[in-house]
Amino acid sequence: MTTILIVEDNEMNRDMLSRRLQKRGFEIILALEGQAGIDAAAASKPDLILMDLSLPVMDGWQATQRLKADSDLRQIPVIALSAHAMETDREKALQAGCDDFDTKPIDMPRLMAKIEALLAPRAERISP
Amino acid sequence: MTEPVVFDGASPLTAGMPNFSQDLFDTVREPLLILDAALRVHAANRAFYDTFQVTLADTENRLIYELGNGQWDIAALRTLLEDIVPASSVFNDFELEHDFPSIGRRVMLLNARKLRQGSHAELLVLAMEDITIRRRGEGEIAKAKEAAETSNRTKSLFLANMSHELRTPLNAILGYSEILQEEVAELDLPQFSADLAKISGAGKHLLGLINDILDLSKIEAGKMELHLERFEIAELINEVVSTIAIQARQNGNNLEVLCPPDIGVMVADLSKVRQALLNLASNAAKFTNDGSIKLETERQVMDNADWIVFRVSDTGIGLDADQIVRLFQPFTQADASTTRKFGGTGLGLSLTRRFCQIMSGDVTVHSVGGEGSVFTIKLPAVVPDQPLGDIGIEDRRKPAAVLDPATVDDVESLPAPGTCVLVIDDDPVQRELMQRYLGKEGFTVRTASGGVEGVRLARQLAPAAITLDVMMPDMDGWSVLSALKADRALRDVPVIMLTMVDDPERGFALGASDYATKPVNRVRLSQIVKKHMCPNPPCPVLLVDDDASFRDVTRAMLEREGWSVSEAENGAAALKSMQAHRPSLIFLDLIMPVMNGFEFAAAVRHHPEWRSIPIIVITSQDLDSDDRRRLNGYVHTILQKEGASRDSLLEQVRDALTDSNTPRLAPQKTLDA
Repeated sequence: MTTILIVEDNEMNRDMLSRRLQKRGFEIILALEGQAGIDAAAASKPDLILMDLSLPVMDGWQATQRLKADSDLRQIPVIALSAHAMETDREKALQAGCDDFDTKPIDMPRLMAKIEALLAPRAERISP
Repeated sequence: MTEPVVFDGASPLTAGMPNFSQDLFDTVREPLLILDAALRVHAANRAFYDTFQVTLADTENRLIYELGNGQWDIAALRTLLEDIVPASSVFNDFELEHDFPSIGRRVMLLNARKLRQGSHAELLVLAMEDITIRRRGEGEIAKAKEAAETSNRTKSLFLANMSHELRTPLNAILGYSEILQEEVAELDLPQFSADLAKISGAGKHLLGLINDILDLSKIEAGKMELHLERFEIAELINEVVSTIAIQARQNGNNLEVLCPPDIGVMVADLSKVRQALLNLASNAAKFTNDGSIKLETERQVMDNADWIVFRVSDTGIGLDADQIVRLFQPFTQADASTTRKFGGTGLGLSLTRRFCQIMSGDVTVHSVGGEGSVFTIKLPAVVPDQPLGDIGIEDRRKPAAVLDPATVDDVESLPAPGTCVLVIDDDPVQRELMQRYLGKEGFTVRTASGGVEGVRLARQLAPAAITLDVMMPDMDGWSVLSALKADRALRDVPVIMLTMVDDPERGFALGASDYATKPVNRVRLSQIVKKHMCPNPPCPVLLVDDDASFRDVTRAMLEREGWSVSEAENGAAALKSMQAHRPSLIFLDLIMPVMNGFEFAAAVRHHPEWRSIPIIVITSQDLDSDDRRRLNGYVHTILQKEGASRDSLLEQVRDALTDSNTPRLAPQKTLDA
């Protein structure tokens, strides 16, 4: 089963996102801030990470930079989620190493397309 | 020969008229001093004594530095008089700020000139203008401008933050209503799904509005960026049509789509083009009932470049000229009642325009109230990478070629006289666009952001042609035009007036009481006349127009209404006639030979006994070739700014230049011949 790690401090957002993804057949792991996210990624090697950017303790940019600096974890795709729709936010996220960026409120079909696009190369590698 | 009376070696003209020179001298309103070679005061005028509160005895034959107990012993003045003037013989606009003991701190603008060799040799004239109030005013304006810009930035930041704060709770509303919708569908509980759809529909609408505000604040903060990509135009049109089709049909409208299948690709910011088209199309659907909506797309070649033109037309409620003027302003719907009836924030069109402009294009509208509207978006087929300068906030980032006032005095940077086109417009976008269009045609373009600066630049540049915006905040186009035409050196420079729409304000700005356009319709005329009712007929009315046939027709109409009509063929003749008979009402044409309507209106308004006479301005709405000939170099053309194609604009500039070349660019030859 495909596992997705959601790093998000807002309880409602965490709840909604995990319920909707579970319904679509994903296994969900949750973390509440950046450092916990890195620990969870190292422990359970998810297939994809959804990373909120404004997080307590360690923010999403920093957590992504650490993940991408780690040779064991850098291949896990990271999609940054931000309520800031400013273009600079997108750029900052991509500079931090995020593979894609999406804005909140979550548009489920749009997010699903991004998730599938990032999971597809992996599926191809695995399936043959 | 009579002995010179006032100055050594007075000219024969003044001989025998002992007070002639002094009278002349005293009439000048600015303080004047005549100094001899030793800088001793030879003479001073009345304005000098009045301004500096000194007596003749304290002044004449004193060294300038001794005046008023040494209050004129100023280092900067010594430099001017002892170093600069002897070397160059003329020096203008020397600014001197000094604490004068009797009158306090003043800023004086000095002109100094050594009189010509010969009878007055070695005398030096010093003219002063007290510009203290003007300078103070400028300081205040600069402060106010800075404050306004700061507050605009604060506003943008506030909007960006507020929209973020609004999105967070909205996120939960939208998310949970969607989760519930999914669960309701799975549990087969159709009785809840309609209400849930309403919640999420309203939430999405709110999100759209918040996004619009965010976009607008991004543009205003200069932070809107372009993501250029290559896309199939036909695919975009299909997408727009499928989004809009339901809305169009809901109001019983027929949707027609014209897009050549081979229209090909364009390079632009896809999401912004899409949003602009959706805005126009959804407006058309919203404001049209049981009518038709047409979406046309075509590729056009203009200025040797490919442009993509999108046209959205409808048969809906339409817009009148007044509404069009406000249409693209943020937070302004055509009519306040529109908001109640049709919803919306009034941000859509404003955003559409900004989007088009940052993609180096524009959106224009043509509409008649009650008969529908046509909105036209023109975008370059390949949008350039660098967006136009700062669209949101005027002048924060000037386009490179805009003449910086600081460098204006640098003679090296001035183009040769008669070679450049001066664009006077307060709208930075318009300036930038004109600069591009004209620059591409090989013209050197200089721009001015206001009337005052425009007139100053015109004097400095002696341009080959001037394009002039009618509505500007500091000095309106008509006043600029009067100033240009009053200047001997600039009188013959063709001026192309750009006007947004035919607007009554220009008449009112001149002090006109009412306004009509030609051909004047009888009903309109009689309405005006009734409004300015004559208490005891027959009342005298003065008809000022150079067109005799128009005067005949109007006279007949007015006499039938019981007025006693006198006529004048131009402003000067009218002023003369008014000295004999004061009319109760004046009908005024604006464009006339000898003295035009603008000058005449100004003269009437300055005359205390005439000030209250109502003036009805009559002017041609569309100038035909006869009118143009009549303009006689005064106004070359009046163009409608909105909807004027750049081709016709360029044509006008070329025409203007061709016309002007004959007398202006080859005067030397004429003299030699």
